[in-house]
Amino acid sequence: MNLIPRLLAVASTVAAIAVGTTVANAQPPGFSPIDRTDQKKSKQNPKLKGHAVPSTITPVEKIPVDNLRLPASFKAEIFSHGHPGGRTMVRGDKGTIFMGTRIIGRVYAIIDRGGKRETKVLLQGLTQPNGLAFRDGSLYVFAIHRVFRYDNIEDKLDNPGEPVELTKAYNLPDTVHHNWKYVAFGPDGKMYVQVGANCNICEVNPGIHGQIRRYNPDGTGMEIVARGVRNTVGFDWHPLTGELWFTDNGRDWAGDDGPQDELNRIARGQEGAFFGFPYCHANGIPDPDVRRPNPCAGVTLPAALIGPHSAGLGIKFYTGTMFPQAYRNVAFIARRGSWNREQKFGYDVVVARTAGARATIQPFMTGLLDTGRNEFHGRPTYLLQMPDGALLVSDEQNGATYRISYTNPRGKKK
Amino acid sequence: MFWSGHAFTQTMPLAERLKLCGACHGEDGNSRTPNIPSLAGQPEFFLVNQLVLFREGVRKIPGMSELMTGLKDDDLVALARHFAALAVKPGDEPVDPALVERGERLAGPMRCASCHLPSLAGQEQMPRLAKQRIDYLIHALKEFRDGTRSGADTLMSNVVIGVPDDDLAALAHYAASK
Repeated sequence: MNLIPRLLAVASTVAAIAVGTTVANAQPPGFSPIDRTDQKKSKQNPKLKGHAVPSTITPVEKIPVDNLRLPASFKAEIFSHGHPGGRTMVRGDKGTIFMGTRIIGRVYAIIDRGGKRETKVLLQGLTQPNGLAFRDGSLYVFAIHRVFRYDNIEDKLDNPGEPVELTKAYNLPDTVHHNWKYVAFGPDGKMYVQVGANCNICEVNPGIHGQIRRYNPDGTGMEIVARGVRNTVGFDWHPLTGELWFTDNGRDWAGDDGPQDELNRIARGQEGAFFGFPYCHANGIPDPDVRRPNPCAGVTLPAALIGPHSAGLGIKFYTGTMFPQAYRNVAFIARRGSWNREQKFGYDVVVARTAGARATIQPFMTGLLDTGRNEFHGRPTYLLQMPDGALLVSDEQNGATYRISYTNPRGKKK
Repeated sequence: MFWSGHAFTQTMPLAERLKLCGACHGEDGNSRTPNIPSLAGQPEFFLVNQLVLFREGVRKIPGMSELMTGLKDDDLVALARHFAALAVKPGDEPVDPALVERGERLAGPMRCASCHLPSLAGQEQMPRLAKQRIDYLIHALKEFRDGTRSGADTLMSNVVIGVPDDDLAALAHYAASK
């Protein structure tokens, strides 16, 4: 029972020592990023592997928009294309949509030119610039452990110039695995930043990895708001409660059926809560490889399970008025789809209806997974609500975004 | 370095461009140049990905980025397709049977075969390791381990965390022997 406080005490000491040093190698005794996966024990097909993401343009006629299935009176159309690997999306004050990527190292700008979208490569040569945020005319770009701010970016789309580098101030670990960033400004004006566990399953240094942190925008004033988080790459704040909700990707090689990925909530006043990694997963499943007594003691369990290996990434609470009232303040979650599972799962967008500490998950956008052939046609990654209330969904696999809109069938007020 | 600034590659016919590749990587795609990888029989998807990363400046290798500057996706695909189709030949470096045996024992728990296949022939975005140059494999593995390989797959970096030099050498000999 004394284990948790002691663990956190060790962690904070280590974090203090690590400031300004190469944090990757500063492991306290008992912690190690060396993977503890026991693949044989999992009895899974050892040939399972991550799916390849094309780094070349998918011809527009091959983008599977016609496969998409939505509830009645919703419609999907291609909004933009020709941006291989495009994932995260933020919208500037003047309407530019900025899009982050992983392997291809680009940040795209999607510009509206009289109703037609033009896609351009704004930045390139970065190491997995998945983390984007926009505030007061500035675009914040988080690559793995490097942070840049481009001021007045929407006036400089043809020549962004030199950014202000904030890498030193943010002092993020230089480890790479599960450390492509997701970031967002919270309602408190702070920058929230993911720092994932740099392994599949291991005892990471909890003072550094497996966290969500928040900072002042300039990188000062770091606080840890969630611990024991394996790898969240999407979060958003409930429009009414102001509480942070985040997706978290469960570990691999512990079975086709789980532990399931999670949707979590940080309740008001519970900042710094511990979410279980690496000892306790999903709804209280002890880890088979990294064991400790009472593995789930002191662990905040998820608000909902979101499927085995489903890879829930982007989450967005809907606040628009285009969709029916039943979608107001409901979270949309993009599930990129499984790799560590024989029968593929996910590749869709679901809705999470929240009530207090719990949420229920329902399907919304399907059609990208052919369960009969066990093949997928696209991978939804992130979501963006447009000013008119339409919802954009990025499809990383096809380098495209879909615009989801709703038309009231009776032409009446919703 | 060689060819830096040679933007003329943009308008070069494929055959000319392939000669430039062959100068280091071997005309038949089987490298005889120290520390330069063989390209023969690599998965096309892998080669396209890497060429894109050179073009974009994500992987920063002197010479390679300059050669790829301004090339279109189709140009890169043509290069990749050419090398993917070439026959793989054994290298000219001595392979140490004791290291091969040790490398094989190490490779099992490291799950190399999950992505690179039991034959280590690679697939899709995962490179062929079989019959790759030993010196290049050691170089690449060290870069993954030490975090000095830009544009690297992050999972690979995790796999080789803390693995000592002599184990990396054993893995390289094992792969080259396949």
